[in-house]
Order: sequence, then C-alpha cells, then structure tokens
Amino acid sequence: MLKSKTFVKKTRSGGVMKVVREHYLRDDIWCGSESCTECKQESPVLQKDACIESNLCSYPHYLIPDTNVVLHQVDVLEEAVIRNVIILQTVLQEVRHRSAPVYKRVKDMIQDKEKHFYTFTNEHHRETFIEREPGESANDRNDRAIRVAAKWYSEHLKGHQPDGDELRVVLLTNDLGNREKAKENNLLVFKCEEYIKSLIANPELVDRLALSSDDQNDITSNKVLFAEHLPLSVIQTGIKNGSLLQGTFRASRDNYLEATVFVHGGGEDATEVLIQGLQNLNRAVHQDVVAVQLLPQSQWVAPSSVILQDEGEAKDENANEEEDKLQPFTAAQKPTGKVVGIIKRNWRPFCGMLNVSQIKESTRHLFTPAERRIPRIRIETRQASALAGQRIMVAIDGWPKHSRYPNGHFVRSLGKAGEKDTEQEVLLLEHDVPHQPFSQAVLSFLPKMPWAITPEDLEKREDLRHLTVCSVDPPGCTDIDDALHCRELEDGTLEVGVHIADVSHFIRPGNALDSEAANRGTTVYLCGRRIDMVPELLSSNLCSLRSNVDRFAFSCIWELNQKSEILKTRFTKSVINSKASLTYAEAQMRIDDSTKNDNITKSLRGLNKLAKILKKRRIENGALTLSSLEVRFHIDSETHDPIDLQAKELLETNSMVEEFMLLANISVAQKIYDEFPDCAMLRKHPAPPPSNYDILHKASKSQNVEIHTDSAKALAYSLDKASVEGFLYFNTLLRILATRCMMQAVYFCSGMDSDFHHYGLASPIYTHFTSPIRRYADIIVHRLLAVAIGADTTYPDLMDKHKQSALSNNLNYRHKMAQYAQRASVAFHTQLFFKSRGILNEEGFVLFVRKNAIIILIPRFGLEGTVFFDTKDKSAPNLVFDEAGPTLKVEQHTFCIFDKVKVTIRLDDTNIQHQKIRMALVDPVVRIHSRTSAASSCALLKNGNNVFIHLPF
Amino acid sequence: MMAAVEVSEAEKVYILHGIRDDLRVDGRGCEDYRHMEIETDVVSNTDGSAKVTLGHTVVLVGIKTEIGKPRPMVPNEGYLEFFVDCSANATPEFEGRGGEELGTELSNTLYRVFNNKHSIDLKRLCISPGEHCWVLYVDVLLLQCDGNLYDAMSIAIKAALFNTKIPKVFISSDDEGGKDIELSDDPYDCMRLNVENVPCIVTLCKVGHRHIVDATLQEKACSVASLIMSVTHKGTVTCTRKVGGGSLDPESIFEMTEAGKRVGKALHAPLMKLLEQEESLGKKQQKVGFFG
Amino acid sequence: MAGLELLSDQGYRIDGRKATELRKIQARMGVFAQADGSAYLEQGNTKVLAVVYGPHEMRGSRSRARHDRAVINCQYSMATFSTAERKRRPHGDRKSTEMSLHLKQTFEAAVMTQLFPRSQIDIYVKILQSDGGNYSVCVNAATLAVIDAGIPMRDYVCACTVGFVDETPLADLCYAEEGGGVSSLGLALLPRSSQIALVQMDARLHQDNLDALMEAAMTACKGVSKVLDEVVRQHLQEASMLARD
Repeated sequence: MLKSKTFVKKTRSGGVMKVVREHYLRDDIWCGSESCTECKQESPVLQKDACIESNLCSYPHYLIPDTNVVLHQVDVLEEAVIRNVIILQTVLQEVRHRSAPVYKRVKDMIQDKEKHFYTFTNEHHRETFIEREPGESANDRNDRAIRVAAKWYSEHLKGHQPDGDELRVVLLTNDLGNREKAKENNLLVFKCEEYIKSLIANPELVDRLALSSDDQNDITSNKVLFAEHLPLSVIQTGIKNGSLLQGTFRASRDNYLEATVFVHGGGEDATEVLIQGLQNLNRAVHQDVVAVQLLPQSQWVAPSSVILQDEGEAKDENANEEEDKLQPFTAAQKPTGKVVGIIKRNWRPFCGMLNVSQIKESTRHLFTPAERRIPRIRIETRQASALAGQRIMVAIDGWPKHSRYPNGHFVRSLGKAGEKDTEQEVLLLEHDVPHQPFSQAVLSFLPKMPWAITPEDLEKREDLRHLTVCSVDPPGCTDIDDALHCRELEDGTLEVGVHIADVSHFIRPGNALDSEAANRGTTVYLCGRRIDMVPELLSSNLCSLRSNVDRFAFSCIWELNQKSEILKTRFTKSVINSKASLTYAEAQMRIDDSTKNDNITKSLRGLNKLAKILKKRRIENGALTLSSLEVRFHIDSETHDPIDLQAKELLETNSMVEEFMLLANISVAQKIYDEFPDCAMLRKHPAPPPSNYDILHKASKSQNVEIHTDSAKALAYSLDKASVEGFLYFNTLLRILATRCMMQAVYFCSGMDSDFHHYGLASPIYTHFTSPIRRYADIIVHRLLAVAIGADTTYPDLMDKHKQSALSNNLNYRHKMAQYAQRASVAFHTQLFFKSRGILNEEGFVLFVRKNAIIILIPRFGLEGTVFFDTKDKSAPNLVFDEAGPTLKVEQHTFCIFDKVKVTIRLDDTNIQHQKIRMALVDPVVRIHSRTSAASSCALLKNGNNVFIHLPF
Repeated sequence: MMAAVEVSEAEKVYILHGIRDDLRVDGRGCEDYRHMEIETDVVSNTDGSAKVTLGHTVVLVGIKTEIGKPRPMVPNEGYLEFFVDCSANATPEFEGRGGEELGTELSNTLYRVFNNKHSIDLKRLCISPGEHCWVLYVDVLLLQCDGNLYDAMSIAIKAALFNTKIPKVFISSDDEGGKDIELSDDPYDCMRLNVENVPCIVTLCKVGHRHIVDATLQEKACSVASLIMSVTHKGTVTCTRKVGGGSLDPESIFEMTEAGKRVGKALHAPLMKLLEQEESLGKKQQKVGFFG
Repeated sequence: MAGLELLSDQGYRIDGRKATELRKIQARMGVFAQADGSAYLEQGNTKVLAVVYGPHEMRGSRSRARHDRAVINCQYSMATFSTAERKRRPHGDRKSTEMSLHLKQTFEAAVMTQLFPRSQIDIYVKILQSDGGNYSVCVNAATLAVIDAGIPMRDYVCACTVGFVDETPLADLCYAEEGGGVSSLGLALLPRSSQIALVQMDARLHQDNLDALMEAAMTACKGVSKVLDEVVRQHLQEASMLARD
C-alpha cells in the first residue's frame, strides 16, 4: 500500500542545507464521486447528477479550479449554486501558502456538506504524483500536477459511466499557457469568466467575478500613475541589508494622502515611517504589510494636521493637484518614506456604497467604503441602479499601476442604507463581530430544561444560600455576573464575598459551545442590542445571578478588618440565592435612607464603607481615575429610536461594586499565577511612552497648569490638583485628554511575558475574573482557579502556553473591535437622535487644534465634532497654524485648546452613507464663516463622534 | 597501527612462503586487489556519497558542502576538510575515544593527498573571493576493518567527489555593496566536480623480500613496513609516505614505487568507467546499499 | 510563512501517511562478517547499522563484571554526515551519551543476561542517516543484531516514537514531525508480553492524552515487531538454504 519516494528540498538556514523528506504514494485515495464503483469510499462527496445550467457544458460535470482561480474568485466559488468542485491538494497547499484568509474560506466550503467540495490528495496518489523535471519551475510543475490530476479524473470517471449523460471534469484556469497545454491533453478547460458567464440561470454571478488582469486594461487608462512594485526577492534582500523596512501600513483616517507604516521588529525602538502623497503611498491599502524606503533626511516632515477627504471625481488626473495641499511643516519631523513593494495584502470584503456613474449606460462605478482608511474601489456591475442607495460589500481584486483606484467586484448587498438593521449589520461586519445566531451544534451543549440543582451538585459545592447576597447592576441588566455580601463575624472582623456566575460549570472545554464563546471572545453591547457571547439561556437565565433563585457561583471570600486589610482569602464553588437584584440607584437609596435597617441594607453599608477605604488606598498607591463621558440613550421601546440622551451619572455604589471586583480580580490573579506561573491568563496595562503625553502637556500649559507624567502616581496627583479659576469643566477635559494618552490594556499568558504591571490600576498583577458571562478570558481564569482549588481538572489546551497566547490575541482583537463597534453604534444613534431635533445651539470646548480645523467637544451630548476652515471652493480664510501651542489663527481669531465656543448642531444627511453631524461656529464669529460654507466644512472625526471613551482597563 | 590481529609463527611462515611464490592465502597474486564493490549516492541527505567494500573492509564516505570563508592565503579558492570516524562498529577497540588516534592519522594523510589544486580545481569552489567559498566536508566512516584502509578510503573519496552535487548559487549585490548568496530555485541546477586528476592511494606492504598490494590484516601482521603512495590516472605519484615500524632499503622503495605507479594507474580507468556507468543510469538505478 | 500542516483534514501527514501508519521498514541481518552479529535497518529515511560483539570476556577493568549476569555495553553514535546540518563529532556529546544509556537499559530488560555471567556484550549502533525516531530505529536494528549474534532474548524489543497532533496520536514520527512542535514519546516494548522496556518523554503533554498516546505507541511497536519477525524468518530461511547447499 505504501510506496516510498524521496524528493530533495534545499532550505537555507545561514548557509545551504539539503533536506530530504519521504513522500509516500498511495493507491487508496478515492475519487470522491458518487458515480464511481471502483473506489472504495464510504461517503462520496461529489454528486452523481452534478448539473448546473451552462451553455458551455451541457453535461454533468465537476469543476477543478487552479490555484489562481481559487485565490481570486473565492467569492464566486462561495455562491450556493457552485457545487461539486474538486479542490486538489496542490491547489490547497498553494492557497494556504499564499493567503491565510482565503485558505480558511476554502476549508469552510469543503466542510460545508451542501457545497459538495472534495479535496483530492493528488500529491500522494500513485497515479497523479509527478516529480519536478530539470528546468521546470515550481509553478510550472504545479500547473502540470493540476493537469495530470484533471486528466486522471476524466479517464477515471469515463471508466464506469452508463453512456448518455457522461460525467466530465472541467478545468478552470485563467493562465493561457496552462489552458493550451490542457487542450493538448484533451481536457475540457475554460477561463473562469468564460465559464461563469455561461451559467444561464445565474447571471448575477458575473458581478461577483474578480477582474482578472487581462480585463483590467480596458477599465482604466493606460497612463502609468504609480511606480512598479519591487518583486518579493528584491524586497527580502533589501530588508535583510537594511535598505528597506518592513511594516504594517496604516492609512490615516483624517487624510487620505497620508499614512504611517509601523516598522516591524526592532522591539523597543519600533519606528513609524510617515508616507505622504499618492505616489509614495503607491497603492498600499490599510493593514497591508509593505516594504518602505526612507526618503533622505532633508525630505523628512511632520505629519500634516490637515484633514482631507477624497471627494474627487473618478478621474485620474486630479491626483496631482491634490498633492499641493501637503505643505511640509518643519517642526517635529518624522522619518518619511515611500512604499516600494507589497509583502502581504490584507484585503477583506469592505462594506460601503456605490457612487453610481453619471454615465447612464456605464457598468463601471466607484464604490466608497464605509471605512475612511480604505480607498474607493472601482467595480463593474450591471445592477447599479438596483444597488444605488444600498449598503453593499465589495472585495478588492487588484490595483494596477495605471489606475487611480483599485479594481474590485461586488460581493453582496446588505440592505437599504440608513435603515437601522442595515446599518447595524454594516457596523458588525466592519468590526468583524461574529453575530450569526448560535448554531444547532452550539445549542446542543446547553443544559436540558427544566434545569434543577441535583444533590450531587450540592455535595461538591459550599451551600451559601443562607447568606444575604445581593447584586447591584445598571438598570435593565439581565446578564448578572456578580453578586456581593458582607457580614460581621463574631470576632469583629468582616466577611465579604464576591460571587461570580459559575459559567465554566456549564461551558465545558473543547465542545462547540466553548469554541464559539472563545471565538466571540466578548459580548458586544450596541445601543438597543446585545450580541451575546453565550446563548441566552445561559447569559440571561442559568448563569445570571438573579434574585430568589438558586444559582451556581464561584465565590471569592475574604476576611477583612475594619481597615479593609485582607486577613484571609479563600475561593470556593458555591450555591447562592441572591436576596435582591438592585440597580445602582436603588442600592444608593437604601444606603442613604437611614430608616432602612434590613440585612440587605446593612450588608450594602458595610460594603460601601470598606470600598471607600479600598479606593482611597488604591489612589494613594497611584491608581488613575480618568474621565469618561458616557452617554446613555433612552430608547423607545416600540420603534427602538433614541428619544433622549443623558450622560451617565456615577454614584457611590458604582465605585463600591467596582472596588470589590478589582479586589477579587487581583486576588484571583495572584492565586492562579502562583499555581500556574506558565499559563495563567492575566491582564496588563503598559505604561505609555512619555511622548504620548505631549498633547496633555501642551494643553495644560496653555492654562498655566503643570501636569507631571513621570509616574502614574504623579499623574493622578497633578490631575487632582489641576483646576482653573472659573473653568469648572477644565479638570474633566484634562482627564479626557489624559485618557487618550493611555495604552490599551491587554490579556496575555504569564509564561510568554515578563512584564505584568497594570499601570492604570497601579497593581503588580491583574486579571479578569468577574464577568464570565460576557468575557471569555474570565472563563479561562475560572477554569484555572477551579483547578487551583481542586474543584475541576485541567485539560491540554489550558496548560499550553502557546495556545493560550493565541487565545489572548484573539480576545484582545475581539475586545478592541467590540469597542469600536460600540462607538460606531453610539455614533449612529446620535445621528438618529439629531435627525429629529433639527438645529440645536450648544456650548462646547475646543479639544484639539489642527492645521485647518478645530475639534470641539459638546459636554451635554458627549459629542465631538470637527469644524473646518478651509473649503474646497478655494475661498479659504487666512489660516496660521502654530504647532507649539497648538493654536490656529483664523483671520482675526486665534483658537487654543480649551477655548469655549458656541456652535450649532444639525444632522446632514445629504450623503446617506456618511451621514454627518454638522457643527458650525456661532461664537466667536469668524468673518467669512457663513452658514453656506459651514455645510462643507464640518465632519465627524473618527467612526463615532461621541466621547464614549472606554476606560482602557 | 591499531586494529591488528595476532598471527602465530606457523601462520606467518605459511603466509610468507605463499607470497614468495606469488600465491597468497586467498589465491591472489602479489599485485592483485581483493573483490571490490563500489556504489555511489548511498546516503541521500549528503551532497555526495560512496560506499566501498574491499574484502571485508567497508568504508562509507559522505560529503557535505557548506559555505565558508576562504583561507586568507588563498582568497580565491575553496577547500576540503577531512574527518575519519573509526567507529566502534569496526572493532570494539575503537569504542569511546579508542579510534581517535587512528582517525587523526588517517585524516591528516587524506588532507595532504586530496586538498590541493592538482587534485581538485579549488578555484571553482570559490564563490566570491575573500568572502565566500565552498567547503567540502569529506567524512569517512570506517565500518569494518580488514586491512588496506588507505586504498579503500581513497577510492571511496574519489567516487564520492565524483558523485557530489554542489547547489548553484549566485551573488546578488545591493546598492550598499553588501553581498548576499542566493540559491538557485531549480534543484537540478548544480555544479559537478572534475575528478579526473584525483589520485588513488596504493599501499604496498613489504612481506619477506617481496611487496604486495591490498594486504589483509593477517598479511599486514607479517609485514615489517609499508609504503603508501598516491597515484593519478597518468601514473604520476603525488605523495608518498613510509608507514609502519620497520625500515626499508632504498632499493625496495624504488621497486615498490614502480609497482605502485603501475597498480595505481591501472585503478583509475575501470573506476571511472564504473562511476560513469552508474551515473548514466540516473534514477533508474536500484540502490543496493547495505541490503546487498 | 505558514508552518507545516502536520495532519491534513483528509487525514494525511506531510509525507502522505495516515496517522497510525508506520514508515516503510526494511532490514537485513548479518551485513558484516567480522562482527558476532550485525544488522542494517531502514525506517523511512532513518538508517542504522547495529553491530554486536560478544558475549566475550570483560574488556578493560574487570571490576565492572557481574558474577551473575553479563554486562551490556552500548555505544550510540551518529555519522557526521547523518543529519541535515553536519555534526562536528560522531559521539561523546551529552545526547549520544544519554542515548547509549537508554539503549543499555532497554537491552538489559530484554537480553537474558543471566546466561552469561562475568561476560560482556557490546552493542554498537551507528546512525547513517537521521530522519526522526533515532532511538526507536536503533533499538529495532540492535534487536536484529542481537538475534543475529545468537544471544537469547526474552522477546524482540520493538520501539516506536509517537507524537500528538490535533488530538490525534501519530505513529512513527519523521524528523519534520518531531521538529514541528509535537510532543513526542519514545517507547520500547516486549510485544508478546506487552511489557514496556523503556518509555521516554521530554515534552509536556496533558495527562488526559497520555493513555491514548501510550496506546498508539504500543500498537505501533506491535506493528514493528511483525516486520522484524518477518525479517528474521526470511534471514533464517536464506541461511538454512545456504547451509543445505
């Protein structure tokens, strides 16, 4: 059965090394076809009647796409009508090597039973394996392997066919040479486009075709706009000898002619290279991995403070004149460079809208992505009129050097723009939030209802149902993670318990439910909608620590003295029965109401008292309290429209709950780290580099206030001290700025890192334990803690630091995206809110000063917006920008940070894709600043315009 | 030299008398070699290899190429390194460090015989003068030891050098003058060595009044001293050394040299023929290796 | 660049084997005339020569001699050209010393040493080409060499290296698999009695997976033993044919 063949491969590791591997050829690899009687396969994947209506192939057939077809036309392959496809191992391996996302999608298709995709392991099949021949390139060899396999299939299937509707195989390749050689071998071969266009019943598929390179010539002019990209081999050499740098390309959100490249490696001194101008950006798209070449130091400039949006028409000519707007500025120069090559594209399908071409008959249109960092994309579609006004998804296929915009193709429609469901779908897709309903496989791992606690359960758990436990949460909370109790012990010390929903009891490692939760990583809260991490039965019922029902909990119980010092800590799995589910306000009322003296209230008062001491101590140690203006919408229960907007107010009880959650998290972090030094999942918050504080320093100096940033403690102290006579809001503004200087806190695996410090909390170690219903990290921490106290067993992945590190990365990514999605959702609802409000007059403060605009914060709505001073029609006022301030002089008036201004606010929905909150200055009056020019001078900054600053820890 | 056998007086006399009559114990004449088997390309992860069986003596040679720095005195040449592993497989005496002394002696001699520009075109091994060159690590593995190691080793080395395929590399230089070595993408694209001038070693043992080639261990035990000489295909002697404890008179050295030239010259043609024949079979050749 | 995919969704390993399949094993006994016993064994691209000298008188210090059994002396060494990157010395490094010790322990458990008191048996193994599972292949080759030397053993000693990937145990790892971040386990088995002569595992593995891995190793060893048995029978047949002539 085994045939052995060796082949030789040389790899380089310093020098030259000869690597020899065995390669076994088999004759037990089956063809996968239902109609085959020869192969001894158990469950054939490919259907007998593989019919699709095509005017090229009128007979049943299987498709064999080559590597490039799979890589570039994966959107088409994903269409439901495309079935019975043979993916050769040669193709799959090449795809895996060249594009991880496409590889994943192909694998998903193969697993989808409906698709009837079959992987044929041709490289190990005795009759289809071929050896590379002298003088043959690796690509040619693979093409030949594909042809040999296709040939094998056509002969193999011919063998046992009842005559008549004979099953055939069709090779799809866009490579001319390959096609000709295939024809010589009497294979049925087509270009992918040719084949798709032949599908009579499905004309809409044509839109989803990626443009292949030979089609591109006619879609764009032949004028070369960009420099050729360097080949990969040259890039590699360049990177090795240091003449080129490799980094991730990040387009600027504010200025489409500017980007930064974060240079990889180098560790500490990770540098950023500034790229300016269309030529230098050289077709790189946000998130691509690129090679850059530094420009001579004489050309180094500071990032422009100009806010610039690409509103140009679909002409290629205007590229040059736009460059003029980038006047170099001499202060704070940064290394600048130009993109000379692309190492890895990171394209995904983008949401956005079609700008229908003015020429009625045209099938070529520009597509504007919702994400501003992504350039507009030229697509070809025949359904433009139908797609106008809809949110659609488009994938980029390529960006030829003579085209101003990349070329792409239509993927699917999401619905009418501006509608709440469509917009929500868009922001979920744009932020890569998994939001499909839970699959049957996932739901099958839920406990069967009616669920009840069994005597065996009770045996393994401590019965704490007699304790006066209660929960305190925001109003309307149905996923209650945590509950608390406090009682005085006989010796005068206090016993405090934090009881956390025991989610890990219900979600067992490795099953579909667990994998789904691990992938989702976090529950995402949007305005009026929650995308659960775990199915509702758990999140809102069995795990939720509701009042007056028995629930499983994981309890952390301390004995504290009156000075809030921990005397003893223990952890136990328990059963609790919460006596009350309170809101923050309700809890506060009980504490404040001196007539109340029941057990719940006493418990709350005890907690509150201890929490105050804890908080004081924490702040003395240098923990930061930063400001975040959180805005809450009152949503109409019928229409789900926002009817009112209100800044969240913070009560003592908020901080009471927070203090004990922090305490529990720190205690648990220490415990699991002691027990598992190599694989504890912890959370750290790195100290920001000093340069991050520049803006804070400048801003505070403008008000003659000194802020010290040498340590968290110094910062906290000087923020507390900072005040300006007659400017009550100053301190909050400073804290908002300080928040923006912070780094993002991240999960990590203790065995992979040595720096555990949490800067914001001033704690040497920290983790997340208290919200397992909505954060997956907490589930892992629960499992670790359960093992540490002997309440559960380990499983392999839990102890594997590499797997855990990979999981941390996913969780960090999901958390970041969830935050962005949340902000975007608030922004959208803000727009809805203003839609019904007309024009409002509000007071605001200047938060940032840019070269051609100021950014204003409206405290009442937590709204942030930009007021531009230069306009497209060239009637720009006289602007003088001073980086040192920073200040901006517009005609007579000079704007500084923290200036108080008055603005009008209204919703501008002229562009349905980018509905904007327009702000126009009312006071101070800038002379030329009339209402008409204001229409084109205001825009939103960032995705969301609200100060919805998530505290980073 | 180690790896010797003990021979009784009676045996010695028998062997001596046989040699005097040009009829050795195993039936050979004085200038005859034992049955020899040569096979190349036996270790697939080397760049060149050969296995030689001479009587019961078994030698395996593997050549690995590495990129190194040329020696300062000859910046435009590559070089060869030799290592002889007298493995415990051959005899328990070699266990641990037991074979090291012999190994060093053998490898020093091999170095002298083979690492010079007359035997191999060392200039071809240079990649970029003064910076990179090929170093050929010639590793000899002694698996069974039944006398006449030098001859067997030299034939195996010549065969392995013939078999050696050095990957093609080219120098890419960038703007700043830095050089980088790029490997050819085509595995078939490789450089071969010209082994025409590589000599073979002939060992002549003086036994009684005569000398013999390819002595077995028993015959060796009867010999007072021997002469090793490296001979090219033209019959040129490139190196000669007297080894062993006894002494030799000038006349017998002269005679032995003449015989050595004759025997050595005659070795090359059939060896090359055999190697080329094996090469021409290419992949069709069924490898025997140790299964023979 | 994407690393190696050790086990494809279709269930094939890098070299085309399925999870439980062994590499091709070929062996020959009696390759050298001068040694008391010898064998050459190829398991895929790992190629080993094993030579046995003895039982014979104690060499060197007699104090090591045991009055009730033979002393087994092993030396493991690798040809300098056996690995992808050339080795500087064939033996004497920590790893070969450890390997020699493991071999000694393995064969002490299998050879009926009590039959040869005060004597010594030398087992020398040489890796000619290394492609994973060196220890196991050495054990298998040495077993044949010991049999060739006519030294009585309780049973064949068969060894196999197994690893754990994607919740699946892989039998008889090759070098690319050993290097691919797989936790590997080497096991030497006396197959008829299912007695374990040696088990060795350096990598971390969760306890839950150990049983499955051991089970796979034992099955693999039994597979090896079938092949070795075949080789021995074949060899005896050839030898007796020669003797008859």
